[in-house]
Amino acid sequence: MEVVFQSLAVVLQPHHLLMLICGVFMGLAIGILPGLGGIVGMTILLPVIYGMDPHSAFGLLIGMVAVIPTSDTFPSVMMGIPGSSASQATIMDGYPLAKKGEAARALGAAFSASLIGGLFGALVLTVIIPIARPIVLAFGSPELFMLALLGMSMVGVLSGKKPIRGILAAGMGVMLGALGDAPAVPEYRYTFGIDYLMDGIPLVVVGLGLFAFPEIVDLLIKGRAISEVTTLGRGWWDGVKDTFSHKFIVLRCSIIGVIVGFLPGLGGSVVDWIAYGHVIQTSKDREKFGQGDIRGVIAPESANNAKEGGGLIPTFLFGIPGSGSMAVFLGGLLILGIQPGPSMVTENVGLIYTAIWSLALANVLGASLSIALSKPITRLTLIPFSFLAPFMVLIITFACYQATRSWGDLIALLLMGVVGWVMKQYGWPRPAALIGYVLSDNLETYLFISVQRYGLDWLKRPGVMVLAGIIFVSLAMGIFFQTKRTAATSGGEHGKKAS
Amino acid sequence: MKKSIFVMILAVFAFFSVIPASQGADFSGKTIEWIIPFNVGGGSDVWARLYAPFFQKYLPGNPIVAVKNMPGGGSIIGGNYFQTRVKPDGLTVFGSSGSTTFPYLLENPKVKYDFAQYKIVFASPTGGVAYIKPDLGVKSVADLKGFSKPLAYASQGATSLDIIPLLAFEMMGLKVKAVFGYKGRGSGRVAFEQGEVNIDYQTSTAFIENVRPLIKLGQAVPLMTWGVLDENGNIVRDPIEPDLPCMPEAYEIIFKKRPKGPAYNAWKAFFIAGFGVQKAMWLPGQTPDDIVQAYRQAAAAIIADPEFQQVVEKSLGGYKQMAGEHARKAFDQVLEVPTADKKWLINWLEKNYEVKLK
Repeated sequence: MEVVFQSLAVVLQPHHLLMLICGVFMGLAIGILPGLGGIVGMTILLPVIYGMDPHSAFGLLIGMVAVIPTSDTFPSVMMGIPGSSASQATIMDGYPLAKKGEAARALGAAFSASLIGGLFGALVLTVIIPIARPIVLAFGSPELFMLALLGMSMVGVLSGKKPIRGILAAGMGVMLGALGDAPAVPEYRYTFGIDYLMDGIPLVVVGLGLFAFPEIVDLLIKGRAISEVTTLGRGWWDGVKDTFSHKFIVLRCSIIGVIVGFLPGLGGSVVDWIAYGHVIQTSKDREKFGQGDIRGVIAPESANNAKEGGGLIPTFLFGIPGSGSMAVFLGGLLILGIQPGPSMVTENVGLIYTAIWSLALANVLGASLSIALSKPITRLTLIPFSFLAPFMVLIITFACYQATRSWGDLIALLLMGVVGWVMKQYGWPRPAALIGYVLSDNLETYLFISVQRYGLDWLKRPGVMVLAGIIFVSLAMGIFFQTKRTAATSGGEHGKKAS
Repeated sequence: MKKSIFVMILAVFAFFSVIPASQGADFSGKTIEWIIPFNVGGGSDVWARLYAPFFQKYLPGNPIVAVKNMPGGGSIIGGNYFQTRVKPDGLTVFGSSGSTTFPYLLENPKVKYDFAQYKIVFASPTGGVAYIKPDLGVKSVADLKGFSKPLAYASQGATSLDIIPLLAFEMMGLKVKAVFGYKGRGSGRVAFEQGEVNIDYQTSTAFIENVRPLIKLGQAVPLMTWGVLDENGNIVRDPIEPDLPCMPEAYEIIFKKRPKGPAYNAWKAFFIAGFGVQKAMWLPGQTPDDIVQAYRQAAAAIIADPEFQQVVEKSLGGYKQMAGEHARKAFDQVLEVPTADKKWLINWLEKNYEVKLK
């Protein structure tokens, strides 16, 4: 306990605080720029931390990574363009809200949810660190496969009234994810002799291609501002109130965020979709999802900030990163001369608490700054889009080019963009394709390992059965509420006709 | 008079013809790009970033040394870039790792780079320690004689550095099933702790931090190290675990004879490429001698720097870094693998792991 407050004292020293603030500002900027996320931020900061003392370096790195899922909400809500892979699901309802002129409300809800999620993540990290090892060890390859499957089961609720299209789109995503080097055999798939395809198409390119490109095209075709109304409507304070009236959604989704974060190998890029899918599955009234339901903003935003706290656990305790940005952070630890491992909890426990405090403080700072910024920034939604479009095109091409810095990135963006636009035009669920793409590697790898190692016996593992039960219940709930709703609406229509 | 003018002109010419040579080894105001064909934060990236500031300090003219990551295709893309695009002016250097050397040795058709042409500046070795689950009744490597229980090993792929453990286990007569698909040694170690596999190895730094605690708790039994190269190119005990036999010794304990034949020759060549000189800095083949010398002297000075020795102790496993000729001699052993032994290994991979290399 003493260590906890010693670390707080260290974090509050002017020098460390300054580093933390630098990190927060940088993280906010990276979050706002579409397509740039934690990996890019870490990559920029890594050369800087050489020779720093670990506590200051932690302030900088964690301050940066903690607030990206806060500020990346701006482009997601206001332009329908994912600010980073953590805020893709926020688009689904955040952007329709902005169209209705309620961008400020959506942002207020998002930032307060982010704040609570982030603090929750830090709290869980504090409590769980001493007992985290056995929990992480309980998830072997078969369990991780089932978790990936649980992620896939969200496709159903995300594809609305045409589940068959959702399944097909998800399948397409899985195929797309299979491009490049195979995870378990030394072979390259569908590379057609093109070097660029050897590592598959990067996530940034797929995300921006599917979501940002079609949005820009459509807005240009319509030739008007993002907001369909000229007044900005309700303010951010209403959004904060929304968050508090949905406190259980915030809590549940924060838990989802922490769990997805601390399980190594699941990858953080699906956490927002899982939370979003979860909130739809557990809601009785679903009509408004996708058209500007505030719950659809709160759920992913509380989960994506909570994830960062969870993500530090496998990185510190096992030296295995839970996400792309944590992989770079791990390199940062080595540069600082810290070898992650079990001794982190015994010898370097002060550092862990420094990380936790930095995480908490950064979330508070990040959320307050974002709220302060939201008023001027929301006015952007009133500008005719033809003025904004050139900047947006520039930023997303720049972001994509960051992925591997080769021409292939730009060509792939264009191709993915056309695919995304066609899907949007014909009402094919793009989230399903994205989830398939992101989970493709996990599904294949863990199934491959499970079968190689255990034959068919992996199905008999208790963890697998429990997770299978959860998948079954969540699918059943989805179908149950769906049919109930259809019955209700068709009944209503019937009644109308009768009258 | 005429003669003196002639002498003056000659002197001027001589002066100018000397300048480019001496300027070549002066990097003042220049930026040197160090191409690392891996992602930021990976082992090779960290290695280069630990070295870079010291090259800045010791290269003549104190140039800026910037690490440029060029990941892709398991480091083949960066290697090919170095081969095809880089000028031999000493302003671009290349950092290779075992994952760069292996496809080269296995004659992967995508590889365009050729280490035989390049000038090595320095090389960094690393070591590996193999360990096993205690419930199998193995107390030391001597108990592996005639050991027939099935074992499982978490592997990244048959053509990765895992050639070293897999071939070593096979030479010792163990029945090890390689489970493919793990993302790195870290996930391999977690799989070992989970009981998903029961035999594993870690590179030395990870071993010290993560496996020694397991050994203390009685959850792992150390078997052997792969060993380290001595000055004469022999494999000797690893100073990290001096009480453990190195691989050739372990073989001798089990079979009462020294290992030899194509399997061991191939193992040794790949061991040197993957561990003995795992990471190396290279200059293009045409680089003028004075530049090569400047680099090699800088590397020697870095290795002698007490401040850098601390970095080696803390982050590079404490292994003796090799500069210039020493590195060249060690790497020559990789380049001089007899074709027959290489063929044997390629054949072994095809037969055991259905790997098609062509």
